[in-house]
Amino acid sequence: MKILRNAILQAIAIVAVSVAVGFAFNSFSRNKINPFESPANVPVAADSAQAGADGIRIVELAEARLVVESGVSVIDARRKDAYDEGHIPGAILFDYYDMGTYRDRVLPLLSNEGEIMVYCSEATCDDSELLAKELYLLGFTKLLVFKGGFAEWSGAGLPVERGEL
Amino acid sequence: MKMTWSQGAHPSAGNRNGIRWIFNPYLLLAFRLLLAAIFIYAAVQKIGKPQAFAEAIRGFGVVEYGPPLYIMAIVLPWIEIFCSLSLVTGVFVRGSALILLGMNALFLAVIANRAAGFVRDGTPFMKVYFDCGCGFGPTYAWKKLLEDAAYLLMSLALLAAPRHRFTVSIRRRSS
Repeated sequence: MKILRNAILQAIAIVAVSVAVGFAFNSFSRNKINPFESPANVPVAADSAQAGADGIRIVELAEARLVVESGVSVIDARRKDAYDEGHIPGAILFDYYDMGTYRDRVLPLLSNEGEIMVYCSEATCDDSELLAKELYLLGFTKLLVFKGGFAEWSGAGLPVERGEL
Repeated sequence: MKMTWSQGAHPSAGNRNGIRWIFNPYLLLAFRLLLAAIFIYAAVQKIGKPQAFAEAIRGFGVVEYGPPLYIMAIVLPWIEIFCSLSLVTGVFVRGSALILLGMNALFLAVIANRAAGFVRDGTPFMKVYFDCGCGFGPTYAWKKLLEDAAYLLMSLALLAAPRHRFTVSIRRRSS
Protein backbone atom coordinates (compact mmCIF):
# COMPACT_ATOMS: atom_id res chain seq x y z
CA MET A 1 0.00 0.00 0.00
CA LYS A 2 2.88 2.31 0.83
CA ILE A 3 4.44 1.49 -2.54
CA LEU A 4 1.27 2.54 -4.35
CA ARG A 5 0.95 5.72 -2.32
CA ASN A 6 4.54 6.65 -3.15
CA ALA A 7 3.94 5.84 -6.82
CA ILE A 8 0.89 8.13 -6.89
CA LEU A 9 2.82 10.98 -5.24
CA GLN A 10 5.71 10.51 -7.68
CA ALA A 11 3.29 10.42 -10.63
CA ILE A 12 1.66 13.67 -9.47
CA ALA A 13 5.11 15.29 -9.26
CA ILE A 14 6.03 14.12 -12.79
CA VAL A 15 2.72 15.34 -14.24
CA ALA A 16 3.07 18.71 -12.48
CA VAL A 17 6.58 19.23 -13.89
CA SER A 18 5.38 18.13 -17.35
CA VAL A 19 2.47 20.60 -17.28
CA ALA A 20 4.76 23.45 -16.25
CA VAL A 21 7.46 22.67 -18.82
CA GLY A 22 4.89 21.89 -21.54
CA PHE A 23 3.13 25.23 -21.17
CA ALA A 24 6.43 27.13 -20.89
CA PHE A 25 7.74 25.44 -24.05
CA ASN A 26 4.48 26.09 -25.88
CA SER A 27 4.56 29.79 -25.04
CA PHE A 28 7.97 30.14 -26.72
CA SER A 29 7.34 27.69 -29.57
CA ARG A 30 6.98 28.82 -33.19
CA ASN A 31 3.96 26.54 -33.47
CA LYS A 32 2.39 27.58 -30.18
CA ILE A 33 -1.33 27.20 -29.65
CA ASN A 34 -3.62 28.90 -27.16
CA PRO A 35 -5.61 26.07 -25.58
CA PHE A 36 -8.16 28.48 -24.14
CA GLU A 37 -8.84 30.41 -27.35
CA SER A 38 -10.27 27.54 -29.31
CA PRO A 39 -10.69 28.16 -33.04
CA ALA A 40 -13.70 25.86 -32.74
CA ASN A 41 -15.61 28.75 -31.16
CA VAL A 42 -15.39 30.89 -34.30
CA PRO A 43 -18.76 30.73 -36.06
CA VAL A 44 -19.00 29.45 -39.62
CA ALA A 45 -21.90 30.51 -41.87
CA ALA A 46 -23.09 28.63 -44.93
CA ASP A 47 -25.29 31.54 -46.06
CA SER A 48 -24.19 32.91 -49.43
CA ALA A 49 -26.43 35.98 -48.92
CA GLN A 50 -23.86 37.33 -46.49
CA ALA A 51 -21.14 37.86 -49.11
CA GLY A 52 -18.58 40.42 -47.95
CA ALA A 53 -19.70 40.21 -44.31
CA ASP A 54 -17.33 39.50 -41.43
CA GLY A 55 -16.89 35.86 -40.45
CA ILE A 56 -16.25 32.56 -42.16
CA ARG A 57 -18.49 31.52 -45.01
CA ILE A 58 -18.60 28.23 -46.91
CA VAL A 59 -18.57 28.65 -50.70
CA GLU A 60 -19.38 26.20 -53.49
CA LEU A 61 -17.39 25.56 -56.66
CA ALA A 62 -19.21 28.19 -58.79
CA GLU A 63 -18.47 30.98 -56.31
CA ALA A 64 -14.95 29.71 -55.68
CA ARG A 65 -14.30 30.02 -59.41
CA LEU A 66 -15.54 33.65 -59.45
CA VAL A 67 -13.44 34.40 -56.36
CA VAL A 68 -10.27 33.08 -58.02
CA GLU A 69 -11.01 35.03 -61.21
CA SER A 70 -11.55 38.23 -59.21
CA GLY A 71 -8.01 38.05 -57.81
CA VAL A 72 -8.94 37.46 -54.14
CA SER A 73 -6.14 35.94 -52.03
CA VAL A 74 -6.41 32.16 -52.10
CA ILE A 75 -4.70 29.94 -49.52
CA ASP A 76 -3.89 26.26 -49.91
CA ALA A 77 -3.98 24.64 -46.44
CA ARG A 78 -2.49 21.31 -47.56
CA ARG A 79 1.04 20.00 -47.19
CA LYS A 80 3.83 21.18 -49.49
CA ASP A 81 4.09 17.95 -51.49
CA ALA A 82 0.36 18.06 -52.33
CA TYR A 83 0.65 21.75 -53.21
CA ASP A 84 3.63 21.14 -55.50
CA GLU A 85 1.72 18.40 -57.35
CA GLY A 86 -1.01 20.87 -58.23
CA HIS A 87 -2.95 23.78 -56.76
CA ILE A 88 -5.50 26.43 -57.68
CA PRO A 89 -3.78 29.11 -59.79
CA GLY A 90 -2.32 31.88 -57.63
CA ALA A 91 -2.92 29.99 -54.36
CA ILE A 92 -0.40 30.57 -51.58
CA LEU A 93 0.80 27.55 -49.60
CA PHE A 94 0.03 27.70 -45.85
CA ASP A 95 0.42 24.22 -44.33
CA TYR A 96 -2.02 24.22 -41.43
CA TYR A 97 0.22 21.83 -39.49
CA ASP A 98 3.29 24.04 -39.78
CA MET A 99 1.86 27.34 -38.58
CA GLY A 100 5.24 28.50 -37.26
CA THR A 101 6.89 28.38 -40.67
CA TYR A 102 4.05 29.73 -42.77
CA ARG A 103 2.61 32.35 -40.41
CA ASP A 104 5.60 34.68 -40.86
CA ARG A 105 5.86 33.92 -44.57
CA VAL A 106 2.21 34.29 -45.60
CA LEU A 107 0.55 36.77 -43.24
CA PRO A 108 2.42 39.80 -44.64
CA LEU A 109 0.98 38.92 -48.06
CA LEU A 110 -2.62 39.08 -46.85
CA SER A 111 -4.89 42.08 -46.33
CA ASN A 112 -7.17 42.50 -43.33
CA GLU A 113 -9.63 44.40 -45.51
CA GLY A 114 -10.20 42.02 -48.41
CA GLU A 115 -11.62 38.52 -48.58
CA ILE A 116 -9.41 35.45 -48.31
CA MET A 117 -10.43 32.03 -49.63
CA VAL A 118 -9.01 28.89 -48.05
CA TYR A 119 -9.21 25.33 -49.35
CA CYS A 120 -7.70 21.92 -48.59
CA SER A 121 -7.76 18.56 -50.36
CA GLU A 122 -11.44 17.58 -50.49
CA ALA A 123 -14.84 18.01 -48.90
CA THR A 124 -14.03 15.62 -46.04
CA CYS A 125 -10.94 17.51 -44.85
CA ASP A 126 -11.29 20.06 -42.04
CA ASP A 127 -7.98 21.84 -42.47
CA SER A 128 -9.33 24.70 -44.61
CA GLU A 129 -11.98 25.50 -42.02
CA LEU A 130 -9.51 25.16 -39.15
CA LEU A 131 -6.99 27.42 -40.85
CA ALA A 132 -9.74 29.96 -41.63
CA LYS A 133 -10.61 29.98 -37.92
CA GLU A 134 -6.96 30.56 -37.00
CA LEU A 135 -6.79 33.43 -39.51
CA TYR A 136 -9.99 34.88 -38.08
CA LEU A 137 -8.43 34.91 -34.62
CA LEU A 138 -5.38 36.66 -36.13
CA GLY A 139 -7.57 39.51 -37.37
CA PHE A 140 -8.51 38.46 -40.91
CA THR A 141 -12.27 38.62 -40.69
CA LYS A 142 -13.58 38.13 -44.25
CA LEU A 143 -12.90 34.47 -44.88
CA LEU A 144 -14.29 32.04 -47.41
CA VAL A 145 -13.86 28.28 -47.18
CA PHE A 146 -14.08 26.37 -50.44
CA LYS A 147 -15.29 23.12 -48.95
CA GLY A 148 -14.99 21.02 -52.12
CA GLY A 149 -11.26 21.71 -52.07
CA PHE A 150 -8.69 20.83 -54.69
CA ALA A 151 -10.39 17.52 -55.56
CA GLU A 152 -13.57 19.27 -56.67
CA TRP A 153 -11.65 22.03 -58.46
CA SER A 154 -9.42 19.70 -60.48
CA GLY A 155 -12.27 17.23 -60.97
CA ALA A 156 -14.26 19.98 -62.69
CA GLY A 157 -11.44 20.42 -65.19
CA LEU A 158 -10.53 23.91 -63.96
CA PRO A 159 -6.98 25.22 -64.45
CA VAL A 160 -4.31 23.89 -62.13
CA GLU A 161 -0.84 25.25 -61.42
CA ARG A 162 2.06 22.98 -60.53
CA GLY A 163 5.27 23.51 -58.58
CA GLU A 164 6.13 26.28 -56.18
CA LEU A 165 4.55 29.69 -56.59
CA MET B 1 18.02 15.08 1.88
CA LYS B 2 20.48 12.55 0.61
CA MET B 3 20.53 10.73 -2.74
CA THR B 4 21.88 7.21 -2.80
CA TRP B 5 22.21 4.53 -5.45
CA SER B 6 20.22 1.52 -4.32
CA GLN B 7 21.46 -1.98 -5.12
CA GLY B 8 19.18 -3.89 -2.80
CA ALA B 9 18.92 -7.68 -2.73
CA HIS B 10 16.36 -9.05 -5.06
CA PRO B 11 13.38 -11.10 -3.91
CA SER B 12 13.59 -13.45 -6.87
CA ALA B 13 16.14 -15.46 -4.90
CA GLY B 14 13.43 -17.71 -3.56
CA ASN B 15 11.69 -17.98 -6.93
CA ARG B 16 8.77 -19.92 -5.44
CA ASN B 17 6.23 -18.10 -7.57
CA GLY B 18 6.31 -18.76 -11.32
CA ILE B 19 5.96 -15.08 -12.25
CA ARG B 20 8.83 -13.87 -10.09
CA TRP B 21 11.30 -14.12 -12.96
CA ILE B 22 9.77 -10.93 -14.33
CA PHE B 23 11.21 -9.07 -11.33
CA ASN B 24 14.77 -10.02 -12.26
CA PRO B 25 16.73 -6.78 -11.70
CA TYR B 26 18.41 -6.88 -15.09
CA LEU B 27 15.12 -7.58 -16.85
CA LEU B 28 13.51 -4.65 -15.00
CA LEU B 29 16.43 -2.44 -16.04
CA ALA B 30 15.96 -3.58 -19.65
CA PHE B 31 12.23 -2.72 -19.42
CA ARG B 32 13.11 0.74 -18.11
CA LEU B 33 15.61 1.47 -20.86
CA LEU B 34 13.36 0.08 -23.60
CA LEU B 35 10.32 2.05 -22.45
CA ALA B 36 12.44 5.18 -22.06
CA ALA B 37 13.84 4.87 -25.60
CA ILE B 38 10.39 4.27 -27.11
CA PHE B 39 8.65 7.10 -25.29
CA ILE B 40 11.45 9.62 -25.83
CA TYR B 41 11.35 8.87 -29.56
CA ALA B 42 7.55 9.15 -29.59
CA ALA B 43 7.64 12.44 -27.68
CA VAL B 44 10.27 14.05 -29.91
CA GLN B 45 8.02 13.43 -32.95
CA LYS B 46 5.19 15.39 -31.27
CA ILE B 47 6.87 18.16 -29.29
CA GLY B 48 6.56 21.50 -31.04
CA LYS B 49 3.67 20.30 -33.25
CA PRO B 50 0.70 20.66 -30.88
CA GLN B 51 -1.77 21.46 -33.67
CA ALA B 52 -0.99 18.30 -35.59
CA PHE B 53 -0.97 16.19 -32.43
CA ALA B 54 -4.32 17.67 -31.36
CA GLU B 55 -5.76 16.58 -34.72
CA ALA B 56 -4.33 13.09 -34.23
CA ILE B 57 -5.93 12.83 -30.78
CA ARG B 58 -9.23 14.16 -32.15
CA GLY B 59 -9.10 11.47 -34.85
CA PHE B 60 -9.89 8.89 -32.16
CA GLY B 61 -13.29 10.50 -31.71
CA VAL B 62 -13.00 10.68 -27.93
CA VAL B 63 -12.12 14.37 -27.37
CA GLU B 64 -13.49 17.22 -29.48
CA TYR B 65 -11.95 20.66 -30.09
CA GLY B 66 -11.59 22.63 -26.88
CA PRO B 67 -9.16 23.28 -24.02
CA PRO B 68 -8.92 19.61 -22.88
CA LEU B 69 -7.78 18.53 -26.37
CA TYR B 70 -5.21 21.32 -26.69
CA ILE B 71 -3.91 20.86 -23.15
CA MET B 72 -3.40 17.16 -23.88
CA ALA B 73 -1.55 18.02 -27.09
CA ILE B 74 0.76 20.39 -25.20
CA VAL B 75 1.38 18.27 -22.11
CA LEU B 76 1.33 14.58 -23.17
CA PRO B 77 4.67 14.62 -25.04
CA TRP B 78 6.32 16.22 -22.01
CA ILE B 79 4.86 13.57 -19.70
CA GLU B 80 6.46 10.99 -22.01
CA ILE B 81 9.79 12.87 -21.85
CA PHE B 82 9.84 13.15 -18.06
CA CYS B 83 8.72 9.54 -17.57
CA SER B 84 11.55 8.44 -19.87
CA LEU B 85 14.11 10.56 -18.03
CA SER B 86 12.85 9.15 -14.76
CA LEU B 87 13.23 5.57 -16.01
CA VAL B 88 16.76 6.21 -17.28
CA THR B 89 17.99 8.04 -14.21
CA GLY B 90 16.18 5.82 -11.73
CA VAL B 91 14.42 8.72 -9.98
CA PHE B 92 10.70 8.17 -9.31
CA VAL B 93 10.62 4.88 -11.26
CA ARG B 94 7.32 3.73 -9.75
CA GLY B 95 5.65 7.06 -10.45
CA SER B 96 6.68 6.83 -14.10
CA ALA B 97 5.57 3.21 -14.26
CA LEU B 98 2.15 4.19 -12.87
CA ILE B 99 1.76 6.96 -15.47
CA LEU B 100 2.88 4.72 -18.33
CA LEU B 101 0.53 1.99 -17.10
CA GLY B 102 -2.39 4.43 -17.23
CA MET B 103 -1.35 5.91 -20.57
CA ASN B 104 -0.92 2.51 -22.22
CA ALA B 105 -4.25 1.28 -20.87
CA LEU B 106 -5.84 4.39 -22.38
CA PHE B 107 -4.00 3.95 -25.71
CA LEU B 108 -5.11 0.31 -25.87
CA ALA B 109 -8.74 1.30 -25.28
CA VAL B 110 -8.85 4.10 -27.87
CA ILE B 111 -6.90 2.17 -30.51
CA ALA B 112 -9.15 -0.88 -30.03
CA ASN B 113 -12.20 1.39 -30.27
CA ARG B 114 -10.96 2.97 -33.48
CA ALA B 115 -10.03 -0.40 -34.97
CA ALA B 116 -13.52 -1.66 -34.08
CA GLY B 117 -14.94 1.25 -36.07
CA PHE B 118 -12.99 0.14 -39.17
CA VAL B 119 -14.13 -3.46 -38.64
CA ARG B 120 -17.78 -2.33 -38.40
CA ASP B 121 -17.26 -0.53 -41.74
CA GLY B 122 -16.21 -3.83 -43.31
CA THR B 123 -12.39 -3.84 -43.04
CA PRO B 124 -11.03 -7.21 -41.78
CA PHE B 125 -9.34 -6.68 -38.39
CA MET B 126 -5.94 -7.88 -39.58
CA LYS B 127 -6.02 -5.33 -42.41
CA VAL B 128 -6.96 -2.30 -40.28
CA TYR B 129 -4.11 0.14 -40.98
CA PHE B 130 -3.93 3.70 -39.69
CA ASP B 131 -1.76 6.34 -38.07
CA CYS B 132 -2.55 6.40 -34.37
CA GLY B 133 -0.68 9.71 -33.98
CA CYS B 134 1.69 8.01 -31.54
CA GLY B 135 4.76 9.30 -33.38
CA PHE B 136 5.70 6.13 -35.29
CA GLY B 137 3.66 6.65 -38.45
CA PRO B 138 0.90 4.41 -39.85
CA THR B 139 0.86 0.75 -38.86
CA TYR B 140 -1.49 -2.23 -38.53
CA ALA B 141 -3.87 -1.93 -35.60
CA TRP B 142 -3.14 -5.49 -34.39
CA LYS B 143 0.56 -4.71 -34.29
CA LYS B 144 0.00 -1.49 -32.37
CA LEU B 145 -2.30 -3.25 -29.91
CA LEU B 146 0.32 -5.94 -29.28
CA GLU B 147 3.04 -3.31 -28.79
CA ASP B 148 0.93 -1.32 -26.34
CA ALA B 149 -0.02 -4.48 -24.46
CA ALA B 150 3.70 -5.28 -24.10
CA TYR B 151 4.44 -1.74 -22.85
CA LEU B 152 1.54 -2.07 -20.42
CA LEU B 153 2.93 -5.33 -19.01
CA MET B 154 6.42 -3.83 -18.68
CA SER B 155 4.98 -0.81 -16.84
CA LEU B 156 3.01 -3.12 -14.58
CA ALA B 157 6.15 -5.13 -13.78
CA LEU B 158 8.03 -1.91 -12.93
CA LEU B 159 5.20 -0.75 -10.71
CA ALA B 160 4.68 -4.06 -8.93
CA ALA B 161 8.35 -5.04 -8.48
CA PRO B 162 9.00 -5.47 -4.76
CA ARG B 163 12.35 -3.75 -5.12
CA HIS B 164 14.28 -1.93 -7.86
CA ARG B 165 18.02 -1.87 -8.36
CA PHE B 166 20.01 0.82 -10.17
CA THR B 167 17.72 3.56 -8.87
CA VAL B 168 18.24 6.80 -7.02
CA SER B 169 16.34 6.95 -3.76
CA ILE B 170 15.74 10.25 -2.02
CA ARG B 171 15.77 10.01 1.76
CA ARG B 172 15.54 12.57 4.53
CA ARG B 173 18.61 12.97 6.71
CA SER B 174 17.86 11.61 10.14
CA SER B 175 19.87 14.32 11.92
